[in-house]
Amino acid sequence: MKARLEKFFNAKSFCVVGASTTPNKPGNVVAYNFVHFFPGKTYLVNPKGGELYNNKLYKSVLEIDDSIDAACIIVPARYAPFALQECGKKGIKNIIVTTGGFSEIGDEGIKLQKQLFDIMREFEINVIGPNCLGLYSPALGYDTMFLPDSKLKRPTNGPVSIFTQSGAFGAAFIDQLSRLGSGKWVSKFISYGNASDINETDSLEYVGQDPDTRMIIIYLEDFKNGREFMQKAREISLKKPIMGIKANRTETGAKAGASHTAALSANDVIVDDLLSDAGIIRVITWDQLEDCVLVFGTQPLPLGNKVAIVTDGGGAGVMASDMVSDCGLTLAKFSADVQKKLDDTFPSFYATGNPIDITGSATAEDYRIALEAVYDDPNVDSIVNICIPVIPDLDIEEYIKITKELAKRKEKPFVTALVGGEEADYATAELLKEDLPAFESPGRAVRALGMLTGYTKYLQKHGVDPRSIKMED
Amino acid sequence: MSGIKEILTVIQSEQRKAVLEHEAKMILRKMGIIVPPSSLVKTKEEAIEAAGRFGYPVVMKLMSVEVLHKTDYGAVVIDLQSEEEVKSTFDDFMKRFSSVDVAGILVEKMVGKGLEMIIGTNTDPTFGPVILFGVGGVMVEAIKDVVFRLCPTTQPQALQAIEEINARVLLEGFRGMPKVNKEDLSNLIVKLSELAWKYKEYIAEMDINPIIANEDGLFPVDARIILK
Repeated sequence: MKARLEKFFNAKSFCVVGASTTPNKPGNVVAYNFVHFFPGKTYLVNPKGGELYNNKLYKSVLEIDDSIDAACIIVPARYAPFALQECGKKGIKNIIVTTGGFSEIGDEGIKLQKQLFDIMREFEINVIGPNCLGLYSPALGYDTMFLPDSKLKRPTNGPVSIFTQSGAFGAAFIDQLSRLGSGKWVSKFISYGNASDINETDSLEYVGQDPDTRMIIIYLEDFKNGREFMQKAREISLKKPIMGIKANRTETGAKAGASHTAALSANDVIVDDLLSDAGIIRVITWDQLEDCVLVFGTQPLPLGNKVAIVTDGGGAGVMASDMVSDCGLTLAKFSADVQKKLDDTFPSFYATGNPIDITGSATAEDYRIALEAVYDDPNVDSIVNICIPVIPDLDIEEYIKITKELAKRKEKPFVTALVGGEEADYATAELLKEDLPAFESPGRAVRALGMLTGYTKYLQKHGVDPRSIKMED
Repeated sequence: MSGIKEILTVIQSEQRKAVLEHEAKMILRKMGIIVPPSSLVKTKEEAIEAAGRFGYPVVMKLMSVEVLHKTDYGAVVIDLQSEEEVKSTFDDFMKRFSSVDVAGILVEKMVGKGLEMIIGTNTDPTFGPVILFGVGGVMVEAIKDVVFRLCPTTQPQALQAIEEINARVLLEGFRGMPKVNKEDLSNLIVKLSELAWKYKEYIAEMDINPIIANEDGLFPVDARIILK
């Protein structure tokens, strides 16, 4: 069976109901997006008639003399049931209702949403929303996000698909990705809002089978169809990584029951275990999500949990080592020839075990020798490159160049942590520009590796080769 | 699997939510789960006969819909070593619970000491039937070392769940305790998850606690099922 969202994204003709002539109004922004970027036919509807962006404004969808595959309704909530009914009569089967003011506002809104629901059933319409941003796909020129590009910057085409219950989360995350590195991140974005029809499980099903989606980011507060969601996630997570936030962690504690099991059944405890069983990588904070995009989107999966750390500061190395064990990783024991090379090359006051501490005397060339040696060591699965650039003999440009070369080899995950002020910020920005993972603390860099490695472990446990997971062909 | 539905239907028709221990264990047996040998008796003679058949020591438990929290009411007496002790316990039960509607007394072969675990099921409002595995005994709710899976669960999922409790080292033969057979334990989790799934119209909650793992194997020592 085809995923229901496919009919939305594959639309060849699209109608904007509530196209507005007032600049930056939601109905104006969406009309602009479709007229300018959508490769199919765009129809605009506004009861006042007239023209917008050289396109006729139809007074009603029923006036349009063509079949329409999908539509977006952007009218005040009280008019939405009428607009949906007109679309139903026109035979439009896939409709996004972005307008808010429904079940999320209480009794009055619940009544309105019920009306929408009845019309949806009567005409057998698939509905996204209400109270959402709808859909975005840069490659398909599909964009119902009603916030203007001057405020909400759009990331361009890439491997990541996102689906979210919260529109505000979605808007913020999309904006954030637009300024992360090259901004080339997003394949499909789905904001389904109140989930009167299309929900988290439909979204997962679609991005799961979408060949352009290579990793999936989710934001959920509750489940409409939790059992099926977990079952589908279990299959999909063996083909592409799924990660994200399930917020609302403190919503319900366990209800006192007659059994110990009921007393232990706190909602989030169950959610946490089921997410992990389904292979979904759960993160708690917002910054972790961006870190996920950076490492999963740009680095290969490690084949094991053995980490090499190279640092010019002892303290940073110790903290990174602590995080290595916190994340279930281990410090690699270098192979004999790599160890010999390090011992022979470096002065005796460098620490050549793991972490390798090339101290405040380090030069960019020292970094090159140490990093290349551990990168090529078969006993090393992933590398943490830590630099505190305040030391006198370190040529930062040369260090950046060496780091870029290694991070681009993509045979093993390679993450960098730059700790300090202006020069650290500069080097971080230079690496991020080319979508290379760089972090402002050793802990964050190691934690990102921990997430990658956790996914490797999950795949291996299920007999899947982590090398089969690719962000591009 | 015929028989389980009938047992549950009868209990429902009696307007009862609590399945008594001997009924719960009958259901477990019908699922192919090995439980300690036991017999529901009504007379002292039957009690002595059953104890003799199983061999000492035995445990005696009062089965009554009015006494569900058996230990709180002294309705469980363990480690009975002789015919004399069985007789006096029987008399004591009859005296103390004379005003209670008693279904019978369960005489059960006592299971030797071992590691106490819990397997339970519950009906989650979001996910439906879920199964729990963890460290069992009377302190489960304080220790809270448990892991959940959806029902029905598969053996690989159950094996993975076993590895996820914090105290997993206990299963490896901790301080002279026997190693727990994880294959058998995961089978037990799978069977109980199938029970909760197959009879989800009837079963609301279930506690199999403790399940004792000792040199002789895995034994569900107490079983509590709550119907919807």
